[in-house]
Amino acid sequence: MRVEFFNPFIVAAGEVLNSELGARAKRGRLTLDKADYISQDITVLISLVGDVWGVVIISLQFDTAKTIVSHLLGEAVTDFNELAQSGIGELGNVISGRAATKLAEAGYDTDISVPTMMVGQGSRISTFDIDRLIVPLETEFGVISLALALREAQNNSTQRPFEVKQPPTIN
Amino acid sequence: MNVQFLNPFIEAAFAVLDAEVGVTAKRGQLSLQRSAATASEVTVLISLVGQVKGVVLYGLSEATALQIVSKILGQPFAEFDNLAQSGIGEMGNVITGQAGQRLAEAGFESNISPPTMIVGKGTLISTLDFERLQVPLETELGTLQIHLALRESKNNMVPHVASIGVA
Repeated sequence: MRVEFFNPFIVAAGEVLNSELGARAKRGRLTLDKADYISQDITVLISLVGDVWGVVIISLQFDTAKTIVSHLLGEAVTDFNELAQSGIGELGNVISGRAATKLAEAGYDTDISVPTMMVGQGSRISTFDIDRLIVPLETEFGVISLALALREAQNNSTQRPFEVKQPPTIN
Repeated sequence: MNVQFLNPFIEAAFAVLDAEVGVTAKRGQLSLQRSAATASEVTVLISLVGQVKGVVLYGLSEATALQIVSKILGQPFAEFDNLAQSGIGEMGNVITGQAGQRLAEAGFESNISPPTMIVGKGTLISTLDFERLQVPLETELGTLQIHLALRESKNNMVPHVASIGVA
């Protein structure tokens, strides 16, 4: 567990929620999660590749997402349509991008992937052997939950849970 | 989506299915999708970052996943437990890694993320504004559905930290 990888995300999320939504996020209780993650209504997945390696999972309820998107777009959103999805995906993207900038400032160069969005609760999400730190952020719009499954990149060929024959990444 | 990104994945999948699973795959009908994908029972998600960016999904039924992992690990699996999940995640990882090497040979350097696995049918998986090319690979153990949502990146740095909410 590397605390210096997690704080950038928590700080970035607070800053982005504040600057984009005028929301004040209060950090709830942190928990360490090894079991599969059960998806909420809306889940944004963003992978990290570089000195820090893993995935960031941002989850929220439909109602929270709709309220947030209504604020972002300045119009009431009643349906979680493509535009709303794009708004929430972008929120995840901006939080992760800002966190990656902070990681780079701390000496960990890391790229973030484009966001992928899951809609529908009850699926199990596994990050394999990377434990997840769960950070609930409480805002007036509802709870936004960050699940951070991050580790420092080692020799890329030794970090697989199970090895077949081929090195996993190419440089 | 740039079609030249397709063949590296198909060739890599054929090679890995042949070498690791011992099955010959046949390519089914390609389709280009703009809407969200409905998750299969088992989905492996791997992102690409670099000159090609986006996401690759490997979808299969649990029955197919169990048969494949039984072949990879050389022991029968009746339950899709952690080890079985690791095996399928690793298969996605190896296919994507080999495809990445082929993309690099074609001049597109990219790195791949660790795999994330989604278990549970019916969830919608959206690649947002990335179109998705769907390629079913049919094998005697069932179908491996590959979804490619990839595009060439103009800028290797943190991708599109653009203004919020602009669709």
